[in-house]
Amino acid sequence: MASKFGLAGGIPERRVRQIWDAVDSRQFKNALKLSAALLSKYPNSPYALALKALILERMGKSDEALAICLNAKELLYKNESMLMDDLTLSTLQIVFQRLDHLELGTSCYEYACSKFPNNLELMMGLFNCYVREYSFVKQQQTAIKMYKLVGEERFLLWAVCSIQLQVFCGNGGEKLLLLAEGLLKKHVASHSLHEPEALIVYISILEQQAKYGDALEILSGKLGSLLMIEVDKLRIQGRLLAQSGDFAAGANTYQKILELCPDDWECFLHYLGCLLEDDSSWSNGVNGDPVHPPKFVECTVSHLTDEVLNSRLSNASAFLLKFQVDANNCFLRGPYLAILEIERRRHLYGKSNYDDIMKALMQYFFKFGHLACFTSDVEMFLQVLTPDNKMEFLEKVMKGTNSLPTIPTKVLGLSITAFKIQQLIGNIDKVPVVEHEALAGQMVDMYWKSLPLSKGLDPQESMHGEELLSMTCSVLVQLYWRTRHLGYFLEAIMVLEFGLTIRRYVWQYKILLLHLYSHLGALSLAYEWYKSLDVKNILMETVSHHILPHMLLSPLWVDLSNLLKDYLRFMDDHFRESADLTFLAYRHRNYSKVIEFVQFKEQLQRSNQYLVARVESPILQLKQRADSIEEEEGVLESLNCGIHFVELSNEITSKTLTFNEDFQSRPWWTPVPGKNYLLGPFEGISYCPKENLTKEREENVRRVIERKSLLPRMIYLSIQSASVSLKENAEVNGSMSEPKISSELKFLLERYAKMLGSSLTDAIEVVMGVSTGLKSSEAFGSDTVDWLNFAVFLNAWNLNSHELSQGGDQCGHTWHNVDTLLDKHISEKARSMESLICFPGVEEVAKWIRDQIKRPEDEVVEIILSSLRKKGQGEGPGLVFRILESFMSSIDEVELGSRISQAVKSWSHVDVARKIVTGSSTVLSEFLRICESKIKSLQALKRQMAQV
Amino acid sequence: MTTIRRFCCNDLLRFASVNLDHLTETFNMSFYMTYLARWPDYFHVAEGPGNKIMGYIMGKVEGQGESWHGHVTAVTVATEYRRQQLAKKLMNILEDISDQIDKAYFVDLFVRASNTPAIKMYDKLGYVIYRRVLRYYSGEEDGLDMRKALSRDVEKKSIIPLKRPVTPDELEYD
Repeated sequence: MASKFGLAGGIPERRVRQIWDAVDSRQFKNALKLSAALLSKYPNSPYALALKALILERMGKSDEALAICLNAKELLYKNESMLMDDLTLSTLQIVFQRLDHLELGTSCYEYACSKFPNNLELMMGLFNCYVREYSFVKQQQTAIKMYKLVGEERFLLWAVCSIQLQVFCGNGGEKLLLLAEGLLKKHVASHSLHEPEALIVYISILEQQAKYGDALEILSGKLGSLLMIEVDKLRIQGRLLAQSGDFAAGANTYQKILELCPDDWECFLHYLGCLLEDDSSWSNGVNGDPVHPPKFVECTVSHLTDEVLNSRLSNASAFLLKFQVDANNCFLRGPYLAILEIERRRHLYGKSNYDDIMKALMQYFFKFGHLACFTSDVEMFLQVLTPDNKMEFLEKVMKGTNSLPTIPTKVLGLSITAFKIQQLIGNIDKVPVVEHEALAGQMVDMYWKSLPLSKGLDPQESMHGEELLSMTCSVLVQLYWRTRHLGYFLEAIMVLEFGLTIRRYVWQYKILLLHLYSHLGALSLAYEWYKSLDVKNILMETVSHHILPHMLLSPLWVDLSNLLKDYLRFMDDHFRESADLTFLAYRHRNYSKVIEFVQFKEQLQRSNQYLVARVESPILQLKQRADSIEEEEGVLESLNCGIHFVELSNEITSKTLTFNEDFQSRPWWTPVPGKNYLLGPFEGISYCPKENLTKEREENVRRVIERKSLLPRMIYLSIQSASVSLKENAEVNGSMSEPKISSELKFLLERYAKMLGSSLTDAIEVVMGVSTGLKSSEAFGSDTVDWLNFAVFLNAWNLNSHELSQGGDQCGHTWHNVDTLLDKHISEKARSMESLICFPGVEEVAKWIRDQIKRPEDEVVEIILSSLRKKGQGEGPGLVFRILESFMSSIDEVELGSRISQAVKSWSHVDVARKIVTGSSTVLSEFLRICESKIKSLQALKRQMAQV
Repeated sequence: MTTIRRFCCNDLLRFASVNLDHLTETFNMSFYMTYLARWPDYFHVAEGPGNKIMGYIMGKVEGQGESWHGHVTAVTVATEYRRQQLAKKLMNILEDISDQIDKAYFVDLFVRASNTPAIKMYDKLGYVIYRRVLRYYSGEEDGLDMRKALSRDVEKKSIIPLKRPVTPDELEYD
């Protein structure tokens, strides 16, 4: 903090240092005392006041802090003679920002700058304020002023970045870029440029206007020497040449880069793009999704003649083959895969070259087949093969595996690759179940036999053959889907739990287990494994999709609440601090990062998951307090009665959402949240596509947010409506008048009905129809819960408006409708859970859960274990489990080493079975707790009503 | 088949499969972004086929006088892409930038004293143990400060090991 101290507003440094020290060490009371002493001496010093406000804000006394800040601001404005120093202003700015009054901090700086127009320090402070406010135009104006004042390159670049921000993230038209170009050109003419980043910005401005020739000229001129890394310069050059359509020169440039970095895949693709005069590899980067770039280059139809095409591709092959020969490149996969890509292109351009593709594939296999990444490397090349060719490749791989006598780890790697290729193309689900199961057996067996290879490894290091257990799990779940024998599913769990007993750090196992336990209804276990992944910071945005959607549907409210809180805190913290980091990039003259940071913040702000969490978090709070109307009202009050959420619901349809989740690690059976192939009939493994589910998901998420964000407001209005109706003619104390409540609720009901695909009248008819039995509940489709919500809110509205009641019991029949609907739904749900249930209602559900929980643990454990034991020699689960058990009797301490041996010995399948039982009953107990508290509050209400 | 390029913000949304590894720390956002804002040349990512993130390195350059040096803050490679010398390639990039662009005297890094595999790897890459830092990691485990001299340090003075261990508060930089 030392650098902060000057003679602020005439106060000597030593007097404020103590205060800052106290604040920094969080001794706020002491700081406050010191501040009082300071104020007694300088009662009208804005700086002394700002300090006090800062302390109070840290102590959580926001209102007091704001009042003092405003006072300080007033004094600052009043006292004409006083020097306006940056220290006072920045301290005030900090407090105002923390109090969510960014604009007040900015206005202080604006005032100061108007008083002292040539003070660079104050102008920088003001620029920083505008960065915080994302006011790009004002940023630009301030930067230009600074530039005019001192003529420094950096301020010009600040202005240019601010212009780019207007174009990319604001409403600025592209013609603004011309202005930026003009500013730069003029500056270069008189002062040249001195920073490599400045040159990069200059080139990007030209590139964005498609002035590739001008950009190339600058790059090859004197300024080009600013880029000290040759390859960086060549990359820009290649890109500009290709975009300008000079493919021949572009190819030359990329060839030069490949000479320097023969493994550079992106460069190779650009090289190929230039040769084939196909610019799709550049346009992808501009228009595509930056978070999920395409896996391979799509080829457009070439306008080149066959002859030209062939000769160019042959030249490329010849050029790349020389890198294969160079012994220095023994680890480089690039030159080999490049040959494959060239063959793939040839194929896509209509040449039948299966032999060449196969040859290149096998060459790659013999060289790199043992690597863990082999299969994912060649995946895109296999896609162009016919089923017969694929089988041929598989056979060759199998044969190749056996004929390569090398080091044991390599043999293992090759065998794993063979399994993976088999899974990828082997039509494994067409072979008899026994053979399918045998495959899983072989994998587990191989895992066990390869354990000695890892004997000498550090426990933290990943072991050889670890992938085998993930693959075994995959096969077992396939078998479960195929046969519906739960035993296979449980075996999958056992295999992974076994693996984690051997080494507890394997995150791939944990993610698979998480999904297996979720599917099994033992969500508390799933959550345990999720927690062990230590998902934090930005990983919450990309990884929590594994657990969050399951938790949102579960009764584990406390865990869910923590999950949502942590995630929202992370995101909101980032939004708060992001601008300061942007300013840091300005200060350090890394201009390209300025644009990147602002765009990244927007990318996160539009995150679908973030918006879902923002809606779900208050809904959870409302659920948690639902037993007490008073508490519920408290929550609603803190949510501004749900008004903001209605706004969110209005905006959501026009908002572009981002999907930042990383789905790569999800298991095959549930490639995206909300999709679980195991719930449907067996369709064959190749039926489960991983891609192309995004569009569907996007619409779904939008729908969910649109509907759910209406709930807080509708609940609020329903409570108001009900209390008005209870008080009947009595005077209403509420803030809203009766007709207003009714009309707003009706308006929202109309919207809600519309979201369900009906008009209000039709929706009312559906609800009435289902409740009276005239219509089947199938009329609700998959939106049952939304329809039930609608019925509840409809009733609340009718209590007050009586629009639905004609004569007789005024509102009794809508109450009755809701009751019947809930009754029906619960009994249907309960019946699907267990056929024996025949009494609907919350009390019956509670009773059923109690019975479930009461079942003796040993009994359930035994049911689980017996499903794992193989019955006879025929089909049915048990093989893998038997192999696992056989390991216990074949532990060789010398071979395995003591660490692994001890770990194997500690394995207990009974413990896992018991864990599953307790895990499931934990979820049920939470559900029971919710039911019981519901019953209690309903009974209390009943008693109250009886007394009336 | 490796493209090594500057790390950018969007890579934070794509590195989950690298960072789920229990030895790879996921820092808070201001940490990553401070590095990006201040030392973008020291933050590189390796991308594989299908645009998969293979690994990355983050570091910085700092110090006064003959202590002006490059520092490796983190280097990590996804399980799928290990045993291909990728970490070495990433380290070489950082060393080259420290050496040629910033004319630093040496590159250093801190490693847990118990992390034998990593220590062995750095040793192979030419790093020597310069000093031991007592209870460097969360006040519990010792850290080793390893260094490699660059061309500017002609006499290799920067890597002469210290005779005694130091405590974290004796360190010149965080």
